[in-house]
Amino acid sequence: MRPQQPQHQQQHQLEAAANPNPDPAQSGEAPPKQVALAMDRLGDAARLIADIRLGADRLLEALFVAAQPHQSTKPLHLFHKEDASMRQHLQDLRSVGRQLEESGVLNESLRSRSNSWGLHMPLVCPDGAVVAYAWKRQLAGQAGASAVDRTRLALKAFTDQKRRFFPHLDDGLDGQSTESASKKHCGPQVLIGNHQEELSDYKTLSDILMHLEKEVPTLKIFTYERLDWLKRASSLPSSANETSMGTSKEHNFHSSNKLRPGSLSAVATEKISVIELLFPSIFRAIVSLHPAGSIDPDSVAFFSPDEGGSYIHSRGFSVYHVFRRITEHAAMALQYFLGSRAETALHSLLDWICSYQTLFTKVCSKCGRLLLMDRKSALLLPPVYRPYRQFSALKFSSTQPNSSASSDLAQAYHVGCFSEEA
Amino acid sequence: MPLKWVLHWQPNAGTTVSSQILSEVSQCVESINGVKEGRWRATLTFYKPHTREQLMAAEFPRDFLGILLPEQPNKYYFIIRGQRIVLEADSSIQTLMEKLQSYKTRVALHFDGFQYQLGDFQLRVGKVVPTHSENLRGIVMEVEYLPISSVEKAKQIMEEFLDIWREAISKRSLPGHFMHMEPNFVEYGLTDHYTSQHTAVQYATVMAQLIATVQAVQSVRN
Repeated sequence: MRPQQPQHQQQHQLEAAANPNPDPAQSGEAPPKQVALAMDRLGDAARLIADIRLGADRLLEALFVAAQPHQSTKPLHLFHKEDASMRQHLQDLRSVGRQLEESGVLNESLRSRSNSWGLHMPLVCPDGAVVAYAWKRQLAGQAGASAVDRTRLALKAFTDQKRRFFPHLDDGLDGQSTESASKKHCGPQVLIGNHQEELSDYKTLSDILMHLEKEVPTLKIFTYERLDWLKRASSLPSSANETSMGTSKEHNFHSSNKLRPGSLSAVATEKISVIELLFPSIFRAIVSLHPAGSIDPDSVAFFSPDEGGSYIHSRGFSVYHVFRRITEHAAMALQYFLGSRAETALHSLLDWICSYQTLFTKVCSKCGRLLLMDRKSALLLPPVYRPYRQFSALKFSSTQPNSSASSDLAQAYHVGCFSEEA
Repeated sequence: MPLKWVLHWQPNAGTTVSSQILSEVSQCVESINGVKEGRWRATLTFYKPHTREQLMAAEFPRDFLGILLPEQPNKYYFIIRGQRIVLEADSSIQTLMEKLQSYKTRVALHFDGFQYQLGDFQLRVGKVVPTHSENLRGIVMEVEYLPISSVEKAKQIMEEFLDIWREAISKRSLPGHFMHMEPNFVEYGLTDHYTSQHTAVQYATVMAQLIATVQAVQSVRN
């Protein structure tokens, strides 16, 4: 990453970019400018979407007022006015969307370009995730600003990201605030050092997923491209609907590879950005990968297997308290795995997720019960915490080859029973 | 749909159920942080065949029940316990039956009460009263665990909940206890995935218990 862009390098790149560039609209524009434009357009799109939402509210209001008896033609005027402005907004949104598509924001067409200066176009996923590279844009776009300003901007952007992704570092409730930051690099590496060889065997996505399928036979793994997941999530039956799932097209990891001839299966793996882990009748976990086809997880969420709807994605929240708690805990586990050893983060995360297959059967390792009233929220919950700190060590130091035995070794705690010594 | 256990109040020998017990039970739910949400009502009907001859009557099943559940207002459920049959029909079947005059209502009961939310659990406490009467015949309780739909997978959680519930109730020293009898769903052709048919079967089982209890009390009196 080269956050500083000296002027002469900028001009040189401009000339280089101008010639082989197939897209005439962007010739002569250096990547920082493209990124800046794209961010502006995203901002415009967000404003338009907000306007559309407001307009929809006003339309509904006008309809409601019109439904009341003894009304004048006032609601009709309101309706016409809102209708016209809505159409205009939607038109504007369409054109902004087209511009964004052309500049490669809504797809990954720019990824292969070599002269991107290490900058990435912001990627907007259908589930609303905007890839967190805004801080790069801050630095790149402000190449002319002084070092102090740049540092200040970077620190602000980074603090916002930190607050979002490392919530436990801000509040000292678990006493983790200062310890985890320093321990991150010392402790886990000592423990994981013993079995680096085993973990490094699973370098590619297919390796990891196939290993998991073998180790945990009750687990069903499905992989998706990002847009495909959204379609599937919306078509999942909710618990009111009694039809069985899985009869519609499934992107089962194995079957999707079988359907395509050998040379194309590599392409399929490269596009995978959503992994669905389903333990039938227990839970469904969604893991998002970024970039697609990599082994870098960026978010995870847990749901009931009977939930359905477009809110089922790796940044969504279940309607049930038990799965909401687990999702919060999983976000911290994910950050831990990424922080301690990023190359094995996905593998560790998926293994850790599998330890939840005993969610409704394994009693708490501290109090010995399954259900406990959580004092803070006044809810009865099963043990939703599974420790992640020494997770890798526990799993690989087990001498028993049977995977179900190693899951017994893993411990479980209620929210109130969990303490740092565990 | 989420699975549910239907419990009924088993009064101690020599005692009967009373509305005092009902209010104590409701208070107990609130003491374990249950939040009252609203009312619920289910209706259960015992049918008998509409036939003149006594001989013919013997050929028909004695325990033919129909039940209307609040979560499925458009459906009506029939159960014949003796032959382990449960059937889901459209609610218009009741009109059909009235027109056909093939079966008459022998007894109709209401299950009436309040619904409580307790995190991922949903509880319903209800009194059992015959229609057109305020005579309390029993107390039923529904315990629903919303995140799971599998009867097997939820067994442990439900048993623990029942332990917690019984512990809370025992503090009030009431003359009786809540019982759960799990019918053999497989015999009714039902699967592990919970449905309203499972609920209907549970209610039929509960009714059999309540009747047995009442008959036992009556035989003691006589």
